[in-house]
Amino acid sequence: MTAAGDIVSSQDKKLPDVCLLCEGTYPYISGGVSSWVHDIIKGEPHVTFSILNIGSHEGWHGDLRFQLPENVVGLEELFCHNAPPTPMDGPQRAALERAIRRFRKSSGRRKNPSRLLRALRRIHLEDGVDDDLMADLAAGDLSLSELLYDDASFELVEEMAEKLAPKTPFGDLFWQCRAMNLPVVRLLTARTSPARSYHSLSAGYAGLFGAVEAFKQKVPFLITEHGIYSRERDIELARADWIPDRRALDDLGSRVPTFSPLRRMWSRFFRRLSQIAYHQAVKIVTLSEVNREKLLVDGAPRAKTMVVPNGVELKPPPELPPLTSKPAPLRVGFVGRVVPIKDVLTFIRACDIALREVELDIRVIGPDEEDPQYAARCRELARTLGREKEIKFVGMQPAGKIYNQIELLTLTSFSEGQPLVILEAYASGVPVICTDVGCCRELIEGGPGEDAALGPSGIVTRVAVPQDTARALVTLARDRERLRRCGIAAYKRVALRYARTAMLESYGELYQEIT
Amino acid sequence: MAGIGWKLQKMVDRDSLAGTMSAYLTGVAVTSAPWLLTTAVLMSLRIAARTDGSPTFALVERIVTLVYALTVVLSAPVHIVVSRYAADRLYDQRLDRIGAPLWRVLAATMLGFLAIGVALMVILHVPVALAIAGVFLTVVVGGQWLLLSVGGGLASPTIVLRAFFAGCPLGLVASLWLYRGLNLGAVGYLGGFAMGQLVTLALLLHGVARAIPSKTDETARLWPAFAEYWLLALSAFVYYVSIWTDKAMVWLLADREAASLYSAVTAIAWFTVVPAFGWIYVQIETVFYRRFRAFYGGLGGGAPLAVLRQRAALVTTEATRILRGAALVQASVLTLALVGAPVLLRWVGLPPSSVLPFRLAAIGAALQLLSLLEILLLYYFDLRQEALAVSLTLLGTEAALILVAHATGVTPAAAYMIACAAAALVGLVLVRARLATLITDTFQAQAYGDVV
Repeated sequence: MTAAGDIVSSQDKKLPDVCLLCEGTYPYISGGVSSWVHDIIKGEPHVTFSILNIGSHEGWHGDLRFQLPENVVGLEELFCHNAPPTPMDGPQRAALERAIRRFRKSSGRRKNPSRLLRALRRIHLEDGVDDDLMADLAAGDLSLSELLYDDASFELVEEMAEKLAPKTPFGDLFWQCRAMNLPVVRLLTARTSPARSYHSLSAGYAGLFGAVEAFKQKVPFLITEHGIYSRERDIELARADWIPDRRALDDLGSRVPTFSPLRRMWSRFFRRLSQIAYHQAVKIVTLSEVNREKLLVDGAPRAKTMVVPNGVELKPPPELPPLTSKPAPLRVGFVGRVVPIKDVLTFIRACDIALREVELDIRVIGPDEEDPQYAARCRELARTLGREKEIKFVGMQPAGKIYNQIELLTLTSFSEGQPLVILEAYASGVPVICTDVGCCRELIEGGPGEDAALGPSGIVTRVAVPQDTARALVTLARDRERLRRCGIAAYKRVALRYARTAMLESYGELYQEIT
Repeated sequence: MAGIGWKLQKMVDRDSLAGTMSAYLTGVAVTSAPWLLTTAVLMSLRIAARTDGSPTFALVERIVTLVYALTVVLSAPVHIVVSRYAADRLYDQRLDRIGAPLWRVLAATMLGFLAIGVALMVILHVPVALAIAGVFLTVVVGGQWLLLSVGGGLASPTIVLRAFFAGCPLGLVASLWLYRGLNLGAVGYLGGFAMGQLVTLALLLHGVARAIPSKTDETARLWPAFAEYWLLALSAFVYYVSIWTDKAMVWLLADREAASLYSAVTAIAWFTVVPAFGWIYVQIETVFYRRFRAFYGGLGGGAPLAVLRQRAALVTTEATRILRGAALVQASVLTLALVGAPVLLRWVGLPPSSVLPFRLAAIGAALQLLSLLEILLLYYFDLRQEALAVSLTLLGTEAALILVAHATGVTPAAAYMIACAAAALVGLVLVRARLATLITDTFQAQAYGDVV
């Protein structure tokens, strides 16, 4: 079994130019960000990369989903948590408890208080990020056992309870604090291979790790926020059922309803991780102006931020089929991972509503193994609605074949950055219906000037309103001329603003700057 | 124990002298009646034998003492683990998992004591008829201890009391009848006494069997509990060994008369703890248990930190109050015992030279009671190592000081007293340390996965 924080594998041939930090994505999970990373690596053949994937626990992923390009010189893994332990019987549990007691008896003897613990305190209870905080984080002088079982760390938990959630059930808060702090300690005390620079593909744990490593090694740190990490976590937190919203006891011993402040604690924690990454980064790249504004709100220094939109390979303009008086059912596709943040359930409900008025041939295209329970729920919903024939779950498909199969891409995500699938659809002349998240409105209605003059390349809908998406589907299914116009605008838009060459040029310059 | 706690609380809540007295008398009855009744029967038999001029009774008495000492000490680890296992299943609400392992361990215990009884009788070189009665008594008492340990928790204490109130007088009557009526001599004494104990065992068995669901899970196993609670078992074993160590050592080191005197003095001194035992029982089962449950219930029940702190403070206050209260009750009885020692000892037929050893042994018994209370509190907080430390302190100090006392000619009662004082002191330090860090220890001792 892998020890806490150990690196699983290393092919350390020479110091890589850039260590890419991927949190739960490349090269183990397919998806927009992973494809983007693969593109960047292939597009910068003169730069050597190492990949450090930060996953939840050992065994969380399957096989590699990408063939690693030749300029990848190392692939390593770090885990936020231990693998889920096998259930212990009484004697094993008793032995573990004895070991903990032994540790507790011998603990509390350190000469100097832990700097990492002090940093955790500042993360949770104070504002602002400075080099003192970075130095404390880089000290890495706290073991997992000290974090979990020592009195000093419990004082921090008590202080958090007093200041952040005095009425919250303390048992819940205690376990949540452990779950919050443990990954930080695991990551910051891990042994890692050095690199000449670090590039994190998100804030969060990857951003924190990159920032602290860069601080320790005195090398540049770059961060690209595709979605805004803290905002995406907020969406997940609002729906998370692992945070108990139970009623707390008041002073009189009666139960009072509460919305758990633990959600706010987690939200603040992720925001603070972002701030640490922003503090250390030499550049903070995002995909659109909309996202840049969000970064600024979250504390990113304006001077460090820049926008580099995603880019896709341009193909020759697609041949559009002639309009017929009685068109075939409109081929609609959802393309993406079948996971809650994509809100596939709303997509299915919208299709059901639209199918009552128009003929549609619907495909859900994308991997469903990341959250099998959710995928099963989606299939069950389609079955319950009696739409198994019209809505087909076709799984992952080769990128080159997806857009030949569909005439309209529909996304219902709760959160997106700048979805690569939209750009890929545009490159094939496929218009898009998408929820108003990230920079999707800009992608569909166009940015200022020449872009907006191209006209809309689809329809923007509200988040989690299936009726809205259904109305858009019906509109485009009935008005094929409009659909056709949107397709033409889509292709022109991607050619104007989202060419892969422009993106690679920007990152080439950035890498040149930092290596 | 929650059932008896609730009944005791109802008595106390009557807010009258009669109610309070009833509660404490119930406490005394539950904690001390079995051994008081057994002792009373033995005393009655001794008096009957003395008036009768029977020389064989000394042998019977010796067999009975050794049987009780051996069964108590050797079965202690089994009792504590079985009672803990039963308590865990009560907590899980899986009473169906108690029956099968309990009956299996009861059978194994009785078989084990059959072998032990045979070995004891061989060592003592007693006649065959007496040996049979002796082995019979060993098996019965071994089974009794086991059922007592789980019976108190599973069945009503009334069942336990009823079993002893029925068995002990029957044993007395049977002994006298077999001895005098059938002229069976020492065999009659021992056989009659053992038959009384058998009745007690049968009633206990009946009571416990009724408290357990008839449908039992035959797959339930007890051995994992032994592996899990071996520290608890060791702690109980050491404590029970320490109860007999001083007597055994004095028997080995001193002459027969001195040893006999020491045994008598310490046995009488131990009677002084009966009222405090009852008081402790009532307090632990009522107020302390409520505070304890409120604290631990709050952990899973959603109490915020401030509430947990309040409740932890109440547990601390209550534990401290019980320690002080027990000390106070015991001090009152002890004062009477110390002052009335010459009269008391004259009354039971002991010589004036036994007054000083008795006084020292009475102080020792008081301190031993406190150490027992401390061990109980440590068990409540699941501090097995610490409980073992107290037991080992008692045993180690006792053994060492008895040797010193023998070498220097000091009465062994002084050694016993100092050993009990050391154990009580160690227990006090450990209990106070736990109480001072109750919340921190409760949380920080929680395992996170398998990380350590």
